[in-house]
Amino acid sequence: MNTEDLITMLARQAGPAPRAAAARRLAPALAAGTALGLAGALVFMGPVPAALFAEPGLWLKLVYSAALAAAAVWWAARLARPAAATAVPGRAALAVVAAVLALGGLTLVITPAGSRLAALLGSSWAACPGNVLSLSLPTLAGALWALRGLAPTRPRLAGWAAGVLAGAVGAFSYAFACPEISPAFVAVWYTLGIGLSGALGALIGPRVLRW
Amino acid sequence: MPEDAQRDSFEAGLKPLWDRAQAGDEAAYREALARIAQRLRAYLRRRMQSLPDDLEDLVQESLLALHLQRGTHHPSVPVSHWVLAIARHKLVDLWRRRGRQDALHDPLDELDDTRMPQAVADEGPTQRDLSRLLATLPAAQQQAIVLTKIEGLSVAEASQRTGASVAAIKVQVHRGLKRLAELVRKDA
Repeated sequence: MNTEDLITMLARQAGPAPRAAAARRLAPALAAGTALGLAGALVFMGPVPAALFAEPGLWLKLVYSAALAAAAVWWAARLARPAAATAVPGRAALAVVAAVLALGGLTLVITPAGSRLAALLGSSWAACPGNVLSLSLPTLAGALWALRGLAPTRPRLAGWAAGVLAGAVGAFSYAFACPEISPAFVAVWYTLGIGLSGALGALIGPRVLRW
Repeated sequence: MPEDAQRDSFEAGLKPLWDRAQAGDEAAYREALARIAQRLRAYLRRRMQSLPDDLEDLVQESLLALHLQRGTHHPSVPVSHWVLAIARHKLVDLWRRRGRQDALHDPLDELDDTRMPQAVADEGPTQRDLSRLLATLPAAQQQAIVLTKIEGLSVAEASQRTGASVAAIKVQVHRGLKRLAELVRKDA
């Protein structure tokens, strides 16, 4: 088949281009990943007592992870489209993380010196990043599947964005099972869990995002 | 600078055709793809001096990819940037598949390929036969593609002819072209 015939074939009965192709693949992946992450947190780790919802620390986790997920899904959708501008959503994700790190640092500074270590480590620092990472895995699989059907021309960066998105969803889910309420704890250990998920995405991105 | 002016004129000529094509105008889409193919040949030729026999195959592979991914073009992005980003991705992918690490040292972005003579931009021979690959697709996908995209039946007519629903025909065509693009990558 020569190229002219191929062009005729591609154009024939082609119809209009699909609209919002990136959103239509990422949205179901995100929805399914969030549902599985929440279910994992509630079933395997157990829900926090209802009284904890009166604590600002819990709401910090929810706002942090939801804002980061919003920036990361925007970023991933841009990275799925060849030649699209990706700097602004990337910086938005960075700004969310920077704001929470600053808040965590600030609360640590105003905490009395004797309580600082407890505010930073809580009772579950060693388990937190791993829990965030495990709850992020369904979303990571879904986001990579979504990107694979689109056109990421920078697979490592796209994998990283998918991983950060998944990590934010994992953090959101874990907030419903995690008893810690110190902002410094959230800034360090939640962010580390999200970073692990991002690194995993960047590691496997170049392998799975081939098209 | 003359090369900038020519690059702009490619975008200026393509943009109105492309907008109509994206809205479903078949004739505009064919013309847009023909212009893109010519531009791809010039772009890839300068970057494939070590693999000249693969040029037309990579033009075809890029066309197939950008057809399948045309939903990822947003009107705010210049069409030419989107097209060349896909071609560049396909070129790097080809090099990687060939294990040609040394070829990555070829300059990619700083070449002026817009002043290529017209004759050089004509279609060249291919190593790979898309018709042969098409014949290896699952029967339903192959039939849907042959009826709508080669014989030119409307989706409704193809649906009547085969007894499959309109939605099913559309899905088979899309899956078939996706499968074809995968076969093309493995074939290279």
